[in-house]
Amino acid sequence: MQLNLKKNKASKQLLWIGIVSIVMFFGGLTSAYIVRKAEGGWLEFEMPVWFTISTIAIIVSSALLLFAAQNVKSGKSATTLLLGTLFLGILFSYSQIQGWGDLVAQGVYLTGEGSNASGSFIYAITLMHLLHLIGGLVALLITTVKSKQGNYSKDNYLGIQLASIYWHFLGILWLYLFLFFNYS
Amino acid sequence: MSEHHKETFLTKYIFSLDHKMIAKQFLITGMFMGVVGMLMSILFRLQLSNPGESFAVLEFFLGEKWAPGGVLDPNIYLALVTMHGTILIFWVLTAGLTGTFANFLIPLQIGARDMASAFMNMLSYWFFFAATIVLLCSLFVESGPAAAGWTIYPPLSALPQAIPGSGLGQDLWLIAITLFVVSSLLGGLNYIVTILNMRTKGMTMSRLPLTIWALLIVAILGVLSFPVLLSCALLLIFDRSFGTSFYLSDIIINGEALHNTGGSPILFEHLFWFLGHPEVYIILLPALGIVSEVISVNSRKPIFGYKAMVGALILIAFLSFVVWGHHMFITGMDPFLGSVFTFTTLLIAIPSAVKVFNYLATLWRANIRFTPAMLFAIGFVSTFITGGLTGIILGDSALDINVHDTYFVVGHFHIVMGLSAIYGMLAGVYHWFPKMYGRMMNKKLGYFHFWVTFISAYGVFFPMHFLGLAGLPRRYYTNSAFPMFDGLSDINEIITFFAIVGGLVQLLFIFNFFYSIFKGTKATENPWGSNTLEWTTPVERIHGNWPGEIPTVERWAYDYSKPGAEEDFVPQNVPLKEGETEH
Amino acid sequence: MSILVGLIILLSVIVLVQILRVNELVSEVKDQDPNEITDKDNNIQGILTFSIFGVLFLGFVIWQFKYWGVHILPPASSLHGATIDTLMNFTLGVILFVFFLTQPILAWFSLKYRGRKNAVAYYYPHNNKLEIIWTVVPTLVLTPLIIYGLNVWNDITSADTSNSKVIELYAKQFNWTARYAGDDNTLGKANYKLVEGLNVLGVDMEDDTAQDDIVTREVHLVVDKPVLLKMRSQDVIHSAFLPHFRVQMNCVPGMTTQFGFTPTQTTAEMKEQEGEDFDFVLLCNKICGAAHYNMKMKFIVETQEEYDAWIASQETLKNSLTLN
Repeated sequence: MQLNLKKNKASKQLLWIGIVSIVMFFGGLTSAYIVRKAEGGWLEFEMPVWFTISTIAIIVSSALLLFAAQNVKSGKSATTLLLGTLFLGILFSYSQIQGWGDLVAQGVYLTGEGSNASGSFIYAITLMHLLHLIGGLVALLITTVKSKQGNYSKDNYLGIQLASIYWHFLGILWLYLFLFFNYS
Repeated sequence: MSEHHKETFLTKYIFSLDHKMIAKQFLITGMFMGVVGMLMSILFRLQLSNPGESFAVLEFFLGEKWAPGGVLDPNIYLALVTMHGTILIFWVLTAGLTGTFANFLIPLQIGARDMASAFMNMLSYWFFFAATIVLLCSLFVESGPAAAGWTIYPPLSALPQAIPGSGLGQDLWLIAITLFVVSSLLGGLNYIVTILNMRTKGMTMSRLPLTIWALLIVAILGVLSFPVLLSCALLLIFDRSFGTSFYLSDIIINGEALHNTGGSPILFEHLFWFLGHPEVYIILLPALGIVSEVISVNSRKPIFGYKAMVGALILIAFLSFVVWGHHMFITGMDPFLGSVFTFTTLLIAIPSAVKVFNYLATLWRANIRFTPAMLFAIGFVSTFITGGLTGIILGDSALDINVHDTYFVVGHFHIVMGLSAIYGMLAGVYHWFPKMYGRMMNKKLGYFHFWVTFISAYGVFFPMHFLGLAGLPRRYYTNSAFPMFDGLSDINEIITFFAIVGGLVQLLFIFNFFYSIFKGTKATENPWGSNTLEWTTPVERIHGNWPGEIPTVERWAYDYSKPGAEEDFVPQNVPLKEGETEH
Repeated sequence: MSILVGLIILLSVIVLVQILRVNELVSEVKDQDPNEITDKDNNIQGILTFSIFGVLFLGFVIWQFKYWGVHILPPASSLHGATIDTLMNFTLGVILFVFFLTQPILAWFSLKYRGRKNAVAYYYPHNNKLEIIWTVVPTLVLTPLIIYGLNVWNDITSADTSNSKVIELYAKQFNWTARYAGDDNTLGKANYKLVEGLNVLGVDMEDDTAQDDIVTREVHLVVDKPVLLKMRSQDVIHSAFLPHFRVQMNCVPGMTTQFGFTPTQTTAEMKEQEGEDFDFVLLCNKICGAAHYNMKMKFIVETQEEYDAWIASQETLKNSLTLN
């Protein structure tokens, strides 16, 4: 039990420090964005509505996941709520892709004649966020399956905790990026 | 714990989860890459001292294509310089040094059975291995390996039309570096969590050996700076592969005007050096840690000023994040920003000076036992002083104007981080070899190796300061195009001579290493009379490190020659005597 | 050939193994551990450390200054360069002082405190007073260095360039082109999309200020008259390096950088001082491709009369581009 607690603590720390390095990664990208923007020649454009939908989706998904974790802690099943989270996560990915489509329709291109660094940055950064999110989806899928199999209990829910920490982090990261793109 | 599982060849030597085996995998891969990188430097040194002359050895290694008639091609010269830098900086002195000693020493010195996540640890090695394979493959592509310098400044690295190496070779370079960064992050996360969580009873932070402090700080530096390198490389990959304009603007190449506008190569430099400078300390700090340990053990004296040593490490690490601009004084940066970077850069001299004086104070009234490891540690102090002092010139923005990117820089960084880190690494290998392989390395070969290395290393790198002060730029295929450099050929010949001698003697070290693995004399449990916990483990390698209980720690690691003790060392697991104070 | 080399390597490895075996056997017979560090080892290595660290290495350093010091660049031929040189000499003095203080201590301690079997080292874990001293002293030494350095840097970067003659340096793989701003001392606008045929710099000929610009393949400067170099690049990063003037500035595609200075010695004076072959030269100092090592342009510093005669013989862009 003692060893288990120690191991749980270590796993969470691993995840947290991993999150710190992801923050540095996006910190690098967004500070590049700021530096580049300050140099001028910057194309301004409207953020697609789909990105707002994504934002709502990921906030709701985080809320569902919170409830799921509560359920497990009090010994109830979390499978339905986890499925809901997973669904909203997929919805998020879908609307991100739709958002790119909107951008292209607006004439904001990743590359080629007429493209501008402001557009390229949006594509690059949202793509990188989405790649990290796919990792989160895989983690959620595993926890959902394990929850369905009844692998979690009041005393054993580390998997859900780890997945939650990472998922909430991705939500907060997106929220930051969303506000950053709109208001920086 | 899988202590009682039957180990097959595959699980013992290849997909091992044991941190000690993973450390050896890092070490041997690092040594192999070290030989490759060193060979490259000797090949281009031949061209530099004898420009345009034909050498059979060049044709032997590079083939008819890159060395037609035995004369080095200018494009492959730049590729060799680039790969030499990349290999030595990342493969040898980052992975080879930190990968080896962090993996080997962290669990052993803090009293843990293994890393926090042995699986991630194994993954870290295999990502490194994959990176190695990709990098080696890039040596054999049609257009040659990456050739834009290890700093891969765009547009040179972004445009295949600019230099042949910026084709497939540069792609593979970027893939290799990405894999490498993943490996470093996996390792770094693990090191931090292991040190914070898995210390045995009594091993408080203030009792940690300095090696562990250094490795902890290095891991933190890595976790904070490598992701930024990744983001920097990512944007470069976008520019190369998708035609975006992050770093590219207003370019005509091969007569073709590119559509890219608005990008800034300077942005790349900022992102790159935000990693690049901490990287210098990622290389140097483990060596500082190892040297502190080796000097203390072989002086039979406690390291002088333990707390100041830790404080200096932390201060150096912190400052390393706010000095990156000193690589960019002549990019037309805002002069005020230049002043700030000059100020922060020169501040690093203070903790560095404290470390040097503390080493000297440790040697004062010592009882020095000259093992080969100790010689390398003393050599480290010498190169750290020499190279550190010239840093004061380069860190000063006004002086940098005229020595920037000349051989003065090459001399400076090879001495302060190249030689110092290599000496630290070699000191570590000689010192911990008995624990790694249960046998001793041959002493006499070790002495010979040290003295030839020490003499030829200074013989190579000290004269470079004079080349730099004569105004000779680095990365020149030959300096014969300018009459003003004609007088420098004798210096270049001397450098090449010492480079060959110094390179050859490393082969002797490798011979000693492998000979001793199989035939060296048997080591005892604690051959150096050392205090740290790794020397309480049995000679025979076992999974889990200690056969019984993990020892508890009762004192700091540096009770050497303590008055009142029976021997001149008191291991960390020996309880304090009645009335004995800790230090 | 390769077989021969392989054989030689194999043979030397075998010979080495045998030597080591014999060495170990001899020790075994004498009942010694061949790898134990004896007092004799400590004596030999201590003496070696002192003689090689302390005598040979330091002697080598002095020898290099004596024999290779002549290769160091001659004193600066520019106004600000002289202040850099003074700062350099001052800094070098401090550095060499510390170098010749600490290295001998290291060598001396290694000899003096070489180990003996029965000796015991002095247990001396820390001394706060000493540590404060060697934190404060380097700080005190650094403070003037930093202040002095920053002063020189500020003087160089904030120099008034309003009266300087403007010259553009244009870098591409693998040569330099210069453009004088002409009588109006204003460079005409340029755009990389306009680079075509004779218009190698992409100068916009619609721009009035461009008409009197003069494009040249070498740069002539008037002694004691300030110039402002403006750098552009066509393809990759280059760096304009004029070592004799202590001038260096990167040339970055997509942006313009600049460096202002005042030459203080003519080429003729320098030839007298340094020999007939002497020439001021512009080098490329940022890796830029295969012929990076051969990317140069001649700079000539002369009197006002000589310069006037030379510039009068050059064609303005208006003539060279529009009339042809």
